[in-house]
Amino acid sequence: MSPTLQSGYHRPRMLRHVGRFSPVRIQSMHYQSGRHIRLLLQPGRSLYDALVRPLQAIGVTSASTTILGGHFDHLEYCVAPPDPSGKAVIAYSSPIDAGASFMVFGNATLGKDMEGRPLVHCHASVRVEDGSVKGGHIVPQASIIGATPISVLVTALEGFELRQAFDDETNIPLLKPFKES
Amino acid sequence: MSTTETTRVVITESGRMGRVAYARIAPNEDLVQGVEKMCLAEGFRNAFVRGGLGSLVDASLGTRDGGYQQVSGPAVEVVSIAGEVRSGADGVPVASLAGIVADTDGNVYGGPFLAGWNPVCMTFEVTLEEWIPDGEEPA
Repeated sequence: MSPTLQSGYHRPRMLRHVGRFSPVRIQSMHYQSGRHIRLLLQPGRSLYDALVRPLQAIGVTSASTTILGGHFDHLEYCVAPPDPSGKAVIAYSSPIDAGASFMVFGNATLGKDMEGRPLVHCHASVRVEDGSVKGGHIVPQASIIGATPISVLVTALEGFELRQAFDDETNIPLLKPFKES
Repeated sequence: MSTTETTRVVITESGRMGRVAYARIAPNEDLVQGVEKMCLAEGFRNAFVRGGLGSLVDASLGTRDGGYQQVSGPAVEVVSIAGEVRSGADGVPVASLAGIVADTDGNVYGGPFLAGWNPVCMTFEVTLEEWIPDGEEPA
């Protein structure tokens, strides 16, 4: 358990990243309106397929989504400890097997990876098979929707797209907004 | 919470959704102030968070007694977040964000994110949807 601090001299900690500091700190794009979709994640599909395929079918390739609560037959997640190799300040752990789980709440971003394929970046809080509540980076290809469809509110992004691009400062590929190619 | 605000309290507010913005907030920027600066950049006076995920160096979550709980990283992952941004008469956007974070063992903690005390670790992705109260045209 982390300590609860009442008072005392303290300041937020910064980290020195591996690459060159970028002067642009907030990369932001907007569109005149959002397009909203209610999506039902289908039982037996991976989270990746259940999110990507139905949205692809209606022409949505960049989106922010809110995943409402629901059961997973199987779920895997990663945590993000310091990177022992030093290539970046942190690196994802090996996947942790949460077993049959209940996703309490999640957010997932849909974009494109560096090869142009659909990419899902999902963080969620989850009640894992042993009953404890955990949280982390969900492995979408390895997490399988349970017997009941799960509702998702999709805010489709139009007028720009999300693409994974190598980020010099952090030395890892990251999703960023770009004008549509 | 005691307040000395003299502005009229509006219990219900009708309006509509406006523009949608997505931002990637860079390392060492504060999560709460980053969202506020995003609103300054995009000209949003009021907005709701439609999605957000990313990592923090350490997280500082407010407690009932006015203190805070620090969750040590790096990285502390934000695994659930909700919130809004409101601007007062001075036009300064103020973000109120709350959520659940996970430490490097996946253990979870929750509460309000304290402005200035939640530096982004690698990246933070946030989607805001502008809220336009009836009678107010966007900036």
